[in-house]
Amino acid sequence: MANPTKPDKQVITTCAYCGVGCGFKAETHQGRIVRMIPWKEGKANHGHSCIKGRFAFDYYQSNDRITTPMIRASIDDAWTPVSWEKAIQHAASELRRVQAKYGTKSVGAISSSRCTNEEIFLVQKFARAVLGNNNIDNCARICHSPTQFGLSATVGWGAASQHFDSILQADVIMIVGANPTEGHPVFGSLMKRRLRQGAKLIVIDPRRTESVNSPHIKADVHLNLRPGTNVAVLDSIAHVIIREKLYNEEFVRSRCEWDEFERWAAFVSSERYAPESIGPQAGLSPELIRQAARLYASGPNSAIYYGLGVTEHSQGSTGVMCLGNLTLSCGMLGREGVGVNPLRGQGNVQGGSCLGSWPHVFSGYRFVTDDEVRASFEKDWGVTLDAEPGLRLPNMFDAAIAGNFRGMFIMGEDPVQSDPNQGHIIQAMRQMECVVIQDLFLNETAKYAHVFLPGSSSLEKDGTFTSAERRVNRVRKVVEPLAGYQDWEIVVLLMNAMGYPAQYADAGEILNEVARLSPAYKGISFELLDRIGSAQWPCDENAPEGTEVLHRKTFPRANGRGTFMLTEYVPTAERTNDTFPLLLTTGRILTQYNVGTQTRRTENNRWHAEDVLEICEHDASVRGIKDGDRVRIASRFGSTELRAKYSERVSGGVVYTTFHHAETRINVVTSDLSDWATNCPEYKVTAVEVVKVEIGSSAKKAKKKKRDEVVTA
Amino acid sequence: MSQSVAHPEETTSARAVPLERLIVMANQIADFFSPYPGPRRAEGIRNHLRTYWDPRMRQDLIDHIAAGGDGVSPSIVEGAQLLTTGDDRKGYYGPPKA
Repeated sequence: MANPTKPDKQVITTCAYCGVGCGFKAETHQGRIVRMIPWKEGKANHGHSCIKGRFAFDYYQSNDRITTPMIRASIDDAWTPVSWEKAIQHAASELRRVQAKYGTKSVGAISSSRCTNEEIFLVQKFARAVLGNNNIDNCARICHSPTQFGLSATVGWGAASQHFDSILQADVIMIVGANPTEGHPVFGSLMKRRLRQGAKLIVIDPRRTESVNSPHIKADVHLNLRPGTNVAVLDSIAHVIIREKLYNEEFVRSRCEWDEFERWAAFVSSERYAPESIGPQAGLSPELIRQAARLYASGPNSAIYYGLGVTEHSQGSTGVMCLGNLTLSCGMLGREGVGVNPLRGQGNVQGGSCLGSWPHVFSGYRFVTDDEVRASFEKDWGVTLDAEPGLRLPNMFDAAIAGNFRGMFIMGEDPVQSDPNQGHIIQAMRQMECVVIQDLFLNETAKYAHVFLPGSSSLEKDGTFTSAERRVNRVRKVVEPLAGYQDWEIVVLLMNAMGYPAQYADAGEILNEVARLSPAYKGISFELLDRIGSAQWPCDENAPEGTEVLHRKTFPRANGRGTFMLTEYVPTAERTNDTFPLLLTTGRILTQYNVGTQTRRTENNRWHAEDVLEICEHDASVRGIKDGDRVRIASRFGSTELRAKYSERVSGGVVYTTFHHAETRINVVTSDLSDWATNCPEYKVTAVEVVKVEIGSSAKKAKKKKRDEVVTA
Repeated sequence: MSQSVAHPEETTSARAVPLERLIVMANQIADFFSPYPGPRRAEGIRNHLRTYWDPRMRQDLIDHIAAGGDGVSPSIVEGAQLLTTGDDRKGYYGPPKA
């Protein structure tokens, strides 16, 4: 047997797991990947990696990988394998049939942050130019859509202000609703390096995460607030900053809209945001809120990093605005070591956001309602485009139930597993007459699909990803696509089959189109990236090799100034009561990735073979639950079962679990409440009750779980 | 128990989003803009509905308001009014304009 440690080929590419965007040298032997070596020249990772990027690559050749196109007339039928030609023709004619019967707007498309910029751009073009409507959304809807909204409103661009290395200049690091050592491990290590050098740390999180207390980390201030009180606490921090005059007046006067600042300052200085009044609501001592405010404002360089603990709330967008307000008021923007930075979950969520996979904006966050912008796309694409915003992902499901949405093209997403209130989603999926899924595996959503197009993993394609630091990295084909086509090639086939002539010799030509139509990507091309490795947008004639730090002189707003939004705290409608007295919050763990489609199919599964419910010993013991017991967790929406684990990380009244395993079906439990601005689901707050499952009934349920149906409460 | 495939009552309407949910969404928007003074509040709401809502959602809201607007916040009524009177379509980010 050949020695697999002696590769015959090496390809430099980018990891598709979290938004850090680590560079890897993928080594192959006889056409199969044998190992992934972290690349020393990678500008995000500098030769580091985590155990997902390093080891969890084998999913691409998992036994259950689908490599043949399949169709079926009804979701109750078995799949019939067919040729590519037949599958594409069938998908095209079915989508057109649905549109003829129910109207142009009765179908839509979903793209995925696991796909490349080129593919995401092409799917939105498919929706707008071929389907003829703006029903296009992407998975950022359910994670960082509030980031785009909240940061655009205050600092002008919905993206990280800094590059990752900037943290090495930070004196105070504030982590809000994120756990970098688990979710963004390579960045987490960089943060630890700075903490070892003496930087101070503020953590705002209901859980005592690794970021609060673990080797090399000890938070100076931990605000373990009650889930759902982010906005109240952030406004209270602002209250202290204004009342104690800790803000940077010079920065605000020279760089921001002073009138809006004054209005905001008067608003947050109201007594209702005093720590004495917010503390009790959030379960915090007022003194702790004051300490956090003073430490953040003291800098001299303070940097905010935040995650889905900010965005996935009914006030997610407001929470992001609070962070924008804070950074502007203290002058923590425009240089290294400061900033406001979303930690993006998937490899290409930033790219998904940038490249117009939204129902209301084209690439570069420019509104579809803007005649001038729309005209530039119409000219390039040779078609008339819809001037009205389309349906957002949750609205597509609503519309399906209401009877006006009957077809979907879904590339690389699994909404049935990943979206909230699973019973509602399944009810909607059952209404569809044509669902086309392009994926590696028969995922949960494929159970409700009519056409399956076997896609390619990021190891099998060319293109680019944009990481959380706005860095556009090259994705290079390491092995041949197992099913024959790269994902963008399949979309091109479908576009042509539906009567829109599309021709690209390679993914680089799609990137050229992106650059032509998106100001921030103007200077980006395969040639540039192959020459200098990677580039952070904006990249244009003023910054031919990209931009590390945003907002140095002006903000990307019409008058060049940052601004302040009034951020009233509105408690979520999801409340605990006698029936559901605990609050469930969800998150993820180091070894697994999101819904686990990839990592569960690798040896990484050994580290986290099931999702467990973290519960504090007191809450467990009053319910007669012992460590390791099987429990049933129920909300107003549904219930599911998993094992309980005593944990000191959660406070009394709060329980926590991960969502990596489909069998857990935790999204049967999560609520259908969503962010006021973007409909981003409120995953982080659901009122629940937890009861011990008797052994007999557990076995019965375990058997039942194998079925395709959702078990409702 | 299996999930049933019950159709809600509105199967035959032209609705994109069930009315009850639409009202919840609208009132959440009203809550956000509540700290702004009257004209800015209304303009903020108009801009949001115009820029982010599918036209069918907007029309359903306008129709519901015309039919009495049961359950809809007064500031949404003011904001929705501007949808029918103004023709400024271009959206913007940032604080509502005066």
